[in-house]
Amino acid sequence: MTDTETATGRPRPPTTQPRRASFGPVLRAEWTKFRTVRAWLVGLFVAALLSVLFTFLVANGRHEGSCTGPPPPGSGPNSPGSNCHAGHPFVPTGPDGEPVADSYYFLNQPLTGNATITAEVTSLTGVISTEPANVAPSQTSTRRGLAAWAKAGILVTPSTNQGSAYAAVMATGSHGVRWQYDYTHDSPGLPGLMTDTSPRWLRLTRTGDTLTGYDSTNGITWTQIGTTRLAGLPTTVSVGLFVASPVSFQDSNNGSPTLATATFDRVSIGSRGGAGAVDAWHGQSIGNGSKSFYPTLGTGGYHRSGSAFVLSGSGDIAPGVGEGLLGADTAASSLPLGLIAGLLVMVVVSTTFITTEYRRDLIRTTFTATPNRATVLAAKAVVIGVAAFVIAAISAAVAIPLSEHILKANGDYVFPASALTEIRIMAGCAGLVAVTAVAVLALGAILRRGAGAVTVGIVVFVLPYTLKQVLAGSADEWLFRLTPAAGLDVLGALPRSAHVAYPYTLGNGYYPLTPWAGIAVLCAWVAIALGVAALVLRRRDA
Amino acid sequence: MTDALHAEWTKLRTLTTTWWLLIATVALTLAVSVAMAAATHLTAGGGGQDPTRLSLTGIYLGQAVIVVLAVLAVSEEYSTGMIRATLSATPRRLVLLAAKAANLAGLTLVAGVLGVAGCLVVGRIMLPTDGLNPAHGYQLVSISHGPTLRAAAGSVAYLILIALLSLGVATAIRDTAVSIGAILGLLYLAPVLAEALTNPLRRHLEQIAPMPAGLAIQATTNLRSQPIAPWPGLGVLTAWALASLLIGGLLLRLRDA
Amino acid sequence: MSDATIEVTGVRKRFGPTPALNGMTFTVTPGRVTGFVGPNGAGKSTTIRVILGLDAPDEGHALVCGQAYQQLRYPLHQVGALVDAAALQPSRTGRNHLLWLAHSQKMAASRVDAVIELVGLTTAARRKARGYSLGIRQRLGIAAALLGDPPVIIMDEPFNGMDPEGIIWMRQLLRSFAGEGRAILISSHLMGELQDIANHLVVVGRGKVLADASVDELVAHASGDRVVVRTPAPTDSARVLEGSGARTEILDSFTVSVSGLAAQHIVQALSQAGVPFSEVIVQRARLEDVYLQLTSGEVEFRGGSDSGSDGQAKQ
Repeated sequence: MTDTETATGRPRPPTTQPRRASFGPVLRAEWTKFRTVRAWLVGLFVAALLSVLFTFLVANGRHEGSCTGPPPPGSGPNSPGSNCHAGHPFVPTGPDGEPVADSYYFLNQPLTGNATITAEVTSLTGVISTEPANVAPSQTSTRRGLAAWAKAGILVTPSTNQGSAYAAVMATGSHGVRWQYDYTHDSPGLPGLMTDTSPRWLRLTRTGDTLTGYDSTNGITWTQIGTTRLAGLPTTVSVGLFVASPVSFQDSNNGSPTLATATFDRVSIGSRGGAGAVDAWHGQSIGNGSKSFYPTLGTGGYHRSGSAFVLSGSGDIAPGVGEGLLGADTAASSLPLGLIAGLLVMVVVSTTFITTEYRRDLIRTTFTATPNRATVLAAKAVVIGVAAFVIAAISAAVAIPLSEHILKANGDYVFPASALTEIRIMAGCAGLVAVTAVAVLALGAILRRGAGAVTVGIVVFVLPYTLKQVLAGSADEWLFRLTPAAGLDVLGALPRSAHVAYPYTLGNGYYPLTPWAGIAVLCAWVAIALGVAALVLRRRDA
Repeated sequence: MTDALHAEWTKLRTLTTTWWLLIATVALTLAVSVAMAAATHLTAGGGGQDPTRLSLTGIYLGQAVIVVLAVLAVSEEYSTGMIRATLSATPRRLVLLAAKAANLAGLTLVAGVLGVAGCLVVGRIMLPTDGLNPAHGYQLVSISHGPTLRAAAGSVAYLILIALLSLGVATAIRDTAVSIGAILGLLYLAPVLAEALTNPLRRHLEQIAPMPAGLAIQATTNLRSQPIAPWPGLGVLTAWALASLLIGGLLLRLRDA
Repeated sequence: MSDATIEVTGVRKRFGPTPALNGMTFTVTPGRVTGFVGPNGAGKSTTIRVILGLDAPDEGHALVCGQAYQQLRYPLHQVGALVDAAALQPSRTGRNHLLWLAHSQKMAASRVDAVIELVGLTTAARRKARGYSLGIRQRLGIAAALLGDPPVIIMDEPFNGMDPEGIIWMRQLLRSFAGEGRAILISSHLMGELQDIANHLVVVGRGKVLADASVDELVAHASGDRVVVRTPAPTDSARVLEGSGARTEILDSFTVSVSGLAAQHIVQALSQAGVPFSEVIVQRARLEDVYLQLTSGEVEFRGGSDSGSDGQAKQ
């Protein structure tokens, strides 16, 4: 069409919209440009090297001068003759391989075949330790107070080993009656709280592999609140009454162990229609003491009061979460510094990829070869983005297993991560670096000067990551929500649980956004930078 | 020497960039301090906060601009090729570096004094309304208070030392972007690394890294719990600045322009 | 290559308060070398940047091969430009510089080696650009301009920093390109550099065209059909010639300067009147003089051969 018009020789009005060049050749040209400057390739290599090096330093510095491997058998962390602090306490693993808390007091007896257990919980009270965090809790220094997730109820388990499968129906401190099984599953019972004036009736039945929980306010009308099949449940299981009381947090950092006491009345065990052996009760403290990671206030115990049983217990039966209890080491927890260091180098490489063209007026040659400037910017963005992605992915692929290995060798507990999670972290790191590289490239196009672009790039896209320690209060949470630092949320790998009252704060290793939301926030920043750059490039003379 | 000094001064003052960067230093320093003061509130436990240090938080960001100013003073000469003219005018290269250092120090002093004074005013006006007032056992931010005077003067000195450190690094590296990246990395990454480590490694790093050590001068309370005392901390930064100038100067002398 | 033209129409451009281009209008046609001359600051480089789509004009437009530069799909196949030969990244080799340019136009590396050979840089092109002399940079810039074998070639001050040998080579190259029917625009602030190669001149000053004409026309105009008559009788000569309608000026006792009458008419008039004369000399101005005359006085002159009226720009 254009050719026909040219043939007529009529002068045409110049169009403002430049014709779109086909992308392939421009991309190839920018790639040739990038790979033929050795300093940039060296920059990529340095970025990768620093990432791995700093990750190593952080992982290795978590437990300096410690012994490696698990502690020798029989010697606890505080046992005499061992000044070895390494070797984390035992963390039980649940049926699905996840870390769990499994510490409680259990009054149980073995039971064979199908059965129905019923009990009335008539009271639930508690105390909270008042000792500072670094002093061993003692039963004498406590104040009254019931943890929200203090639990008292009926539990069935194939074994009393920590981490074994279970199902339980229970009254809680302030979450009403619940049906829970295998640590992660939870469903509520009838509305309303259990109080001294309105006791709750609980019932758990076993039929083959199937366990069912019931809730009642009067012991006459029962409501089923949950059921499950525990595959492979042996014929003889332990059934009984349990009490647990989890750590209570006053603020983000300070948790205190608690102890709850519950009164169970009218306990009945109906087995094959007959009455259970009421005197076969056996009291047992599960996962209590210095070997277990979960902080408890004493070992608990029980006594009989007339027809009633009074149990006290400390601990929790729930998913394992968080730093306060376990140390926040995950597959990703050693990565941030290496990531930031690598990012810093990438910022320099990426800005100079465009600012040196301005410095040398090479940009005119570039725009003469490809008049559509947005295409040039896009090609540059793709080149630098892909280069950054690949380099960051490689660094992460090295750094993640390396840091995990070192942390474990240093005796730290590392939250187990599925292969999928590890791949997500790796892709997240790579995406974060790639997207940031594109953003600072856009900055370079806007500012044209290396000094300005590198500084603004570092201040806007790298500095927020480092501000965590400078800011007070909850300001840092917003930092990781709104600023480009939100990208770091892709590193979030600590488990959360809706039925564990834990401060899921940044200070405890929990990022405020989900990984992909974090990347989305970062991408929004990049989109702004790219948009402004494309606009400015088009409007401005080269 | 005075000629070189004069020449460098003319070079610096005739660039509008210089003045914009100095204004940016003061503005950013104040902006961050105002934001910090606004975000501060008395924690439940009270105590533990350092009003002077809080009001001087802006230095954390303001120093980035000083880094740019110092780096540009030498790297721009290389990127434009002007260094050849400069060195043919002042063949004694160490004199040249000294002249640059003196001019930078002077300009940073001015920006530093303005920024720090502004920060203290911000702290004096804003912090008492946040609860950091005598009623809660906090002294008002005042220059007549010995440790506060030390923190204020020390912060200005800190900025000057950062400028000199940057000048040395830029003289050695010569490239604008790489120099700025390297210096900001050295400054900002060290504290993050320290935070990730456990004691005593962490403490050692905070004692020798330029920013944590240098900014120790801003502490006015709880001196015992700081990893390094104020003056020795500033001394560590001085050592960094001198070492960087020494290496930069040596390379400047030995290398072809 | 009939399409190989550059049309600049009424281009105006201000940088802040200073007008850089003030209604620049001219056309470069194929098959000849068009010199683009003017003193420093006349707007030559800005015009070239506008032609190449680097700067946007405030008013008017520039077309290359009948299209706005930004409309060209692979522009280096249409226009080769040498704008700033120093614009190289120091740490990249000359060959790699050409390579990325070639890739951007979907050309193969073999074309790069061909132009490198054409400009005689086979060895230097493998070295990093850091150590290039001005001459090498210039040759590399020319290589870049020739990369796409374009019908239109634009060169901004191509002789800068070239040694005499290089200048001769360059002139031959440009002449042969013009002979192939390409349109060639060469800017320079020295008229002397263009004297032997340009067929056509566009003289600019203060952002607009002062003269747009063939070299012959320009010279003739500047000479102002002035004729010098050597005669032992200057007063008589002057009287006779003024009678024939010429303007005369007696320079000394042997010389009369005549204008407004062609040489053969002068001879005829003097012979008829019987006034003795020994010599009739037609004055030819040097190109350099034309240039100085034009640029100092800013007189506007246009040859008849070219189009491009000012009226189009001012609407």
